[in-house]
Amino acid sequence: MVISRNAAEFVVAFVTGGLGALVCYSALQNGVAWGASGPEPGYFPFYVGCLIILGSAGTAVQALWRSGAAEVFADGHNIRTVAAFFVPLVVLVALCQWLGLYIAMALYLFFATWLGAKLRPFNAFLVAAITTAANFVIFEILFTVPLLKGPVLEYFGIY
Amino acid sequence: MGNFGQLMDGFAVALTTHHVLIMIAGVLLGLVVGVLPGLGAPNGVSLLLPLTFGMDPIAAIILLTSMYWGALFGGSTTSILFNIPGEPSSVATTFDGYPMARKGEAVRALTLAFGSAGIGAMTGVIVITLLSGWVAQFALRFGAAEYFAVYFMAFASFIGMSGGSPFKTLVSMMLGFACATIGMDTISGESRLTFDWDPLIGGVSFLIAVIGLFGLGELLITMEEGVKFEGVKARLSMTEIFRTLAELPRYWATLIRSAAIGCWMGITPGGPTAASFMSYALGRRFSKRGSKFGTGEPEGVVAPETADHSAGSCALLPMLALGIPGSATAAVMMGGLMIWGLSPGPMLFTTRPDFVWGLIASMYLGNVIAVVLVLATVPLFAYVLRAPFKVVGPIIAVVCVIGAYTVANHMFDVWLALVFGVLGYAFKKLNYPLAPFVLAMVLGDKAEDAFRQALLTSDGSASIFFANGLVATMMGLGILLLLLPAISYVHRRFKPDGAREGVVSVVAAARYDGRDAPATTAGQ
Amino acid sequence: MKIQRTIALAAMLAAGAPAMAQDFKPTRPVEFIVAAGPGGGSDTFARVVQASLSKSGLLTSPIIVTNKAGGSGAETFIYAKTSPGDPYKLFFGTQDAYVLPLASKLSYSLDDLTPIAAMAFDPFLLWVNPKTSGIEDVKGFIAKAKEQPGALKVGGAKAKEADETLMTLIEQKAGVDLTYIPFKSGSEAAIQVAGGHITANVNNPSESVEQWKAGVQKPLCVFEDARLEDKTVIADGMSWNAIPTCAESGIDVKSFAQPRTVWMSAKTPPEAVAYYTELLKKAAETPDFKAYVSRGAQIPRVLTGDAFKEFIAKHKASYAEMYKTNGWLRAEN
Repeated sequence: MVISRNAAEFVVAFVTGGLGALVCYSALQNGVAWGASGPEPGYFPFYVGCLIILGSAGTAVQALWRSGAAEVFADGHNIRTVAAFFVPLVVLVALCQWLGLYIAMALYLFFATWLGAKLRPFNAFLVAAITTAANFVIFEILFTVPLLKGPVLEYFGIY
Repeated sequence: MGNFGQLMDGFAVALTTHHVLIMIAGVLLGLVVGVLPGLGAPNGVSLLLPLTFGMDPIAAIILLTSMYWGALFGGSTTSILFNIPGEPSSVATTFDGYPMARKGEAVRALTLAFGSAGIGAMTGVIVITLLSGWVAQFALRFGAAEYFAVYFMAFASFIGMSGGSPFKTLVSMMLGFACATIGMDTISGESRLTFDWDPLIGGVSFLIAVIGLFGLGELLITMEEGVKFEGVKARLSMTEIFRTLAELPRYWATLIRSAAIGCWMGITPGGPTAASFMSYALGRRFSKRGSKFGTGEPEGVVAPETADHSAGSCALLPMLALGIPGSATAAVMMGGLMIWGLSPGPMLFTTRPDFVWGLIASMYLGNVIAVVLVLATVPLFAYVLRAPFKVVGPIIAVVCVIGAYTVANHMFDVWLALVFGVLGYAFKKLNYPLAPFVLAMVLGDKAEDAFRQALLTSDGSASIFFANGLVATMMGLGILLLLLPAISYVHRRFKPDGAREGVVSVVAAARYDGRDAPATTAGQ
Repeated sequence: MKIQRTIALAAMLAAGAPAMAQDFKPTRPVEFIVAAGPGGGSDTFARVVQASLSKSGLLTSPIIVTNKAGGSGAETFIYAKTSPGDPYKLFFGTQDAYVLPLASKLSYSLDDLTPIAAMAFDPFLLWVNPKTSGIEDVKGFIAKAKEQPGALKVGGAKAKEADETLMTLIEQKAGVDLTYIPFKSGSEAAIQVAGGHITANVNNPSESVEQWKAGVQKPLCVFEDARLEDKTVIADGMSWNAIPTCAESGIDVKSFAQPRTVWMSAKTPPEAVAYYTELLKKAAETPDFKAYVSRGAQIPRVLTGDAFKEFIAKHKASYAEMYKTNGWLRAEN
């Protein structure tokens, strides 16, 4: 699978254009006029949204204009490498929601360095354990910042 | 000179073993805080506040300011090594610091950053020492219109800077403005762009955007490219550090310009982040090697670092003298002052000279201590680069995730950082400039507030922006800065050898330094 | 494997949770969540309570202060809603807890909070810069405002909150027309007055007192029933007590002081509520807290339990009334 640069340009321009439209829509609800004593709350956001749409359209047209170059944005290999890094990251964040940051972090680091970086399981375990412990010491003990603990740590009396 | 005598008394207060030890502890804690994204200087200082309750105010403020210096230095470290700005004000350091590190010059980049930061901070403290009485009076002259003019100048200096498609620059900057708008509007009390959705009511933190766009985005790109850091080649000897320090005086022009910008932005309400951006942009425009900015140019590290630290130091002065914090960290410290029973304001200098001058003296000492300590850590940080990136990558990712969480203890922020990460990845690959986004997000809502407050004050008349000499001068300078790219473009067009093919946009012209610039001794 | 274990643990945890002690005593860190940014009024309040509790040994568990200032502090109370019954979270604010939902559409209501205490009341004063404005007293202020309707600019913190409400009250009671200019904080507004950029501001004593001492601000009157008690001379040979009430000098606005309030989330166990109520009562008696109250010329009045609830109901109703007059009240209220 190959994603051409132009396709990527279009997708991104479409997304930013959509965001611009969303900004305009929301600004309309705040009032976009220039009142007697200066602009209403929606005035600036509205034109900011318009400029986003304008810029996005310009980008899309520009991409169309020089569409001769069949530049590649990402090929199959790229996509796989990025996904191999990004998907576990999303899983990590999802796990954080209900396992707490520390356990999710340890699991993620273990698997990412074991399967991703091809460390030996024991070394991967060491990396995970040391990083998690270091974070625990820095945040919980040094700076008393409570990170999300999750039910498991709470059960063991770690708040 | 009265100030000098009082400063000497201040040194007598600050130079006790107890206070020096506190400075060292503060700097070290600050380094840790600064290295961790999300847990920046303001957070770090507010976390340390409870520790100071039992201390006398002088020791307490010394601890907090030392931590501030440490955090500022720590923030630059991760900017250079991993493209993750530990502090908002060190975003501009990534532009050239990170490319330098990728080229195997991490040690040089770090040393340059710390050295110039130290010089910037010293300049800031000297300005405070000499001008403390005058600054308070000067700052009182700043009404809403003057505030706006300061922000306008920062924007104007930056607007022509980024190369590439003007449409992409526009999109990037306007998205930054839009992000700054999210949340409660100060002037009307209405919520904007929140879609009545709870997680958005507090707005989107600038730190979240930076962690995503820079940290996670860069991580994705690095993983994709399979780039190996050339850190192994970097020499880790102390001689390398000293050689680089000896190189610093060569950048005297950049140092002076940046320190001046920094002091100006610190005293006025611009703040360190805007200062570092403005200094980078002007460095790019006026330096002989400006066209090389962004590719790992030493001056591109020196300019933002010097300005960042001189602004950071100067920002403490309005806080002490007026009770107006010049930066987020100064706001936390101001809270501290009130809890210790001191009231920041014009009378603090007369009622508690021991406190004020002890603090100022400790700023001299604290910065020297910070530079020495932080230079000692350079080999340590550079050593991190020797580890294989496939192992370091996930650790950085975890640091980013935790960083995003600690900004406000919200899981939502972490998701948002992931979204910004994807955006950063796509933007970077498609050559959207990120700097305009960041600048717009930092200054956008402040500029809008000031603009609307000014118009309310003048009953809607725009003449308030040119109502007195101060504001008119600033606005005029801003307009000049805005027009400069166009002027230098025209200037270049009518030079026989100046025309470069295919460069049409005014934006691109800004990259030209407007002079016949033979390669000088700057750099190697 | 790991996941199974987690589920098992979670189940065990759920079973063990109800075993709550009869007498509540905190066994883990207590979190103070502040509805203002660092350096703001509520922030200082919460941190002073933190200092007085930990220094006096009244509370030995660690106290963690976090700021959730978004949406003028609404973020804090929305957060309270998401953790019902949590006996380790205290929320610090002002009247904002029950006034914010009057004007803005927010996802929390007063029912999501358990009121614990009001620990002090911060009065409001009217300030001018006598040098730049030429105004020396309330009479002069009113005269000037009547001379040029709408020309006097009055600054305050934020929009459609206490400061702007007070300004509209002044307009109504004194029969004048003023222009309100919102700033991010009261101290910013104070500096604008000191610099002569705007005419006057309404502010708590602590945010303007240093400018007063420096001679760039002067208090005209206090929006209370009676004069403030402190008779120590502050500046110009005047004490807080020497400042006339606004009612006696021609602007009939009384008892506008804002309470410094502490809340917990809804469904908090009664024994925890009782514990913290007692704790905060004791905290208000510590020298640290007393020094804070007198430094800011605040009114040392502590309200807890039913008295506090009664006060909330009254105060909320009066705000609703004022908001209605100003046209800020949401339709649903």
